[in-house]
Amino acid sequence: MRGTGLKYILLFLVQAALWNYFNFSQYLTIVFLPAMLLCLPLDRGPVRLMLTAFATGLALDFIVTGQLGMTSLALVPVALLRRQLVAAVFGPELLVRGEELSLRRQGWQKIVPAILLVTALFLLPFIWVDNAGILPFWPCALRFVLSLLVSSAVSCLVAYVMLEETGERWK
Amino acid sequence: MPSGRKPASFLVSAAIFILLEIAALSLLHASSTLQNIWLNRASHRTMAFLWGGGETIRSHFQLERINQELQQENASLQERLRAYERLGVEEEELARMAEREASGYRYTPATVVKMSRNQMHNYIILNKGSEDGIRPQSGIISDRGVVGIVEAVDRHYSYGLTLMNPQMSIGARVGRTAVIAPLSWDGRSTGGAVVRNIPPHYDIEPGDTVRTSGYSSIFPPGIPIGITRETRLVDGSTRQVDVRLFQDFSTVRYVTVVENLERSEIMALEAKGEGRP
Repeated sequence: MRGTGLKYILLFLVQAALWNYFNFSQYLTIVFLPAMLLCLPLDRGPVRLMLTAFATGLALDFIVTGQLGMTSLALVPVALLRRQLVAAVFGPELLVRGEELSLRRQGWQKIVPAILLVTALFLLPFIWVDNAGILPFWPCALRFVLSLLVSSAVSCLVAYVMLEETGERWK
Repeated sequence: MPSGRKPASFLVSAAIFILLEIAALSLLHASSTLQNIWLNRASHRTMAFLWGGGETIRSHFQLERINQELQQENASLQERLRAYERLGVEEEELARMAEREASGYRYTPATVVKMSRNQMHNYIILNKGSEDGIRPQSGIISDRGVVGIVEAVDRHYSYGLTLMNPQMSIGARVGRTAVIAPLSWDGRSTGGAVVRNIPPHYDIEPGDTVRTSGYSSIFPPGIPIGITRETRLVDGSTRQVDVRLFQDFSTVRYVTVVENLERSEIMALEAKGEGRP
């Protein structure tokens, strides 16, 4: 996957700018970091991916949120469970054959559920820790649902950008 | 995990996962309480450096509205000045007493460099620091009311918690009855707060003004905070009042840092009193 690292860094900067400049509502957290992790090459093992997730979260907290550790806390489980999620959604043969994710081959009907799953996996601990027992359950549930829907839609664009090159090999 | 993977690799992944999560939790725990550690200070400086320019650009598009507000404030101050000039000798003495009371506080204008608004624990970074005389535990106010409290100070910047923070509670004087009770953010909107623990026999009407009580040694008394809305009885023993804040946190740009010059004296006296049997 050529240029994945550069795309990852550029999208990280977009995420930082989004969190800093666009404060839409208390009930909306737009995040596409989980989709970025999902779209990284599958040959990266969970350890390497977890370290990437931890560093990404820490860097974002350092320059935007100020609550060091919060994004890392929510992002590391996504990295740990990525292989299992990929196997569950796309089938284990993808990992066995050593293939990469591809929009052309897997199609949106599999990419979208995978994005929903990784985004939900990130948002659950993130909202729980950010709330810290302040709000009751239903406002948090509303925040989770709204954030999941909007973040997944934005993540689809991110997946399109990150997986664009991969599709070429299946022409 | 896929069936072909070795258990040892799974154990290594699990161990690193646990280590990273513990590290993240430790960082989070430290960053929410210890603003003085160097990492947080560095983070604040970086954020101020990175986003200060962006806030300036954003504020440029609000200049017309800010100018109108400043004109209104100027007109209101001129009106008050003329009223003072018309005062008689007795009123002048009263005014001098009020002035002496006000002189116990130092006011420093500051500009917001960065402010978070969509988290549960929101903060503010100002462009004035210890070199400008800003001290921790000073109040942050605007022409529309209370904004927050300074928590940590660097040389050129200061970091504070805004009222949009569940940990923050300020003493408020409510309505005509002037009952004193703690006010904190409602956690739901950028303009809502709640006053809790009001004894049920106090009659609070919607539309009453809520002001600072002056009991906290941080804010001067009488700063308008908001107006009351709905009132409800909680657990049959206390009254809880919803408050619409005058200050909309989505538009704040210029603030004033207010320091109680006699705070250390008050704190020392309090400590002495607590030490007595």
